[in-house]
Amino acid sequence: MTVRKFRSYLRVILSTFEMTLRQNVLDGFIVFTVLIQPLLIALLALWMLQAKSGEQAIYVIVGSGMTGLWSSLLFISGNSITAERWSGTLEVLVGQPTPIQVIIFGKNLAHVSQSLGSMIVAYLVSSILFGFHLNVQQPILFILSIFLTVIAFVTFGLIIAPIFIMNPGVQGWQNAMEFPVYILSGFLFPIALLPDWTTPFSYLLAPYWAARALHGTTSMGTPLAEIGFSLLMLIIFSSIYIIISNFLFRKMLYKTREDATLGFQ
Amino acid sequence: MTRIVNNLRIFFQGAMLSYIALFAWLRPITYLASKVIMPLNQLLFFTFLGISATGKDSASFYIIGNAVQITAVSGIYGVTFSVGGERWSGTLPYLFGTPANRMSIFLGRALFHILDGILGVVLGFLWGVLLFGLDLSKTDFGALALTILITTLSTSGLGLLMGSLSLITRNIMFVNNTVYFLLLVFSGANIPLDLLPKAMHTFAQALPLTRGIAAAREIVTGAGVGQVRGYLIGEFGVGLMYATLGYFLFRWFEIQAKRRGTLEDF
Repeated sequence: MTVRKFRSYLRVILSTFEMTLRQNVLDGFIVFTVLIQPLLIALLALWMLQAKSGEQAIYVIVGSGMTGLWSSLLFISGNSITAERWSGTLEVLVGQPTPIQVIIFGKNLAHVSQSLGSMIVAYLVSSILFGFHLNVQQPILFILSIFLTVIAFVTFGLIIAPIFIMNPGVQGWQNAMEFPVYILSGFLFPIALLPDWTTPFSYLLAPYWAARALHGTTSMGTPLAEIGFSLLMLIIFSSIYIIISNFLFRKMLYKTREDATLGFQ
Repeated sequence: MTRIVNNLRIFFQGAMLSYIALFAWLRPITYLASKVIMPLNQLLFFTFLGISATGKDSASFYIIGNAVQITAVSGIYGVTFSVGGERWSGTLPYLFGTPANRMSIFLGRALFHILDGILGVVLGFLWGVLLFGLDLSKTDFGALALTILITTLSTSGLGLLMGSLSLITRNIMFVNNTVYFLLLVFSGANIPLDLLPKAMHTFAQALPLTRGIAAAREIVTGAGVGQVRGYLIGEFGVGLMYATLGYFLFRWFEIQAKRRGTLEDF
């Protein structure tokens, strides 16, 4: 890829990002998914855990924020392509010179980034309403973890969106996919509570490594090597997701052109 | 007498036909995902979270709370769509153009979701027994069945109110989702009510499910109908209050929409 092309793609990503954010602000479903639901889960978990220390509270804040990231990925980013089809703009997007993956990347980036807002709101609620003194133990690594988490989630979204549009039957399971990832990724409780046979499934999920990295950087006593390994896993998963998504997008475009179902409702 | 028979016919036929017409999209896979797997996952998530918070011994608290709360999937979402779906489908003018008894039309919308909700709660208890070894040896099953029925009715009462609200607002999914999660937080399904701030405690008493969940917990530990009678009467009263409010809103909407010509206005 040339520098000029990269800059052009970056411009498209930023424009899509901005436009998607503007659209999302007015969408009640999205506001609920990225802001209200994680906040209510945070309140619920704070009361359930009867959190007494700032460290417990920050665990809940990070965990509940991650539930928002996953739900927005599943319900909003998962529909990134389908939504264009519904609004009749998919043919136009596919027909222009920028690859559609780049546009969907920008959309997913907006969806995932705005979910981070729930972490900020939960942080404020915990410190103001509950009076917790909240500390992030390793701030620089935390920011790096957030960055890599966002990339991993965005690229994961690049896989889910074409799968959903090519297999409406799979999308039928969307409602059933929300909580299993909360559970298997250890967002709000350690996966050690789960039966041993579920552990390999956790290892296969980028959200699990994201949760490990974020929980590790916010709590005391996590070895640097452990955090580093989680970050490495996020990079590996993101790379794998990009490769798979390229294949899926090619397949999707070929299939919809061959069947003439690009704008099919 | 003929009027009563007619109203009953409208109630049952309306219930059946509206369910078939408005939920035609509900294929077995969608039903399985939304009504069986999702509630199971939700029960697992909150039970594990509860175990993580307070230890394995308290698992039954979370299993019972979340099993009963499952009725809100049908009671809130299903019933709301049953009322609001007429508007989205463009059939509201026909419905309000008939001379049919409005009470029969309105209440009939909830019938199948009540049955569905009861089934969901039974499944929730079954998952609890199979996956977490929930002990039902001291349970009076008749009392538990009555509690499930009354709790499902009262939750559907709130659903009917939400359904009427869906006739006057576009953002009903936002309202529905928020109400559903508020029930998870404040009904006592996951948090003992005495841990909540006092104002929230009072708020919880105005919600359906709160007393039903408390009654179910007592029944599982050996209480009979007599001991939970107060809870059950209260639960029924709360549901009746919401259903009545919903009905008046439904009637008000019809009168206003006809007067202003906004029956199909979004």
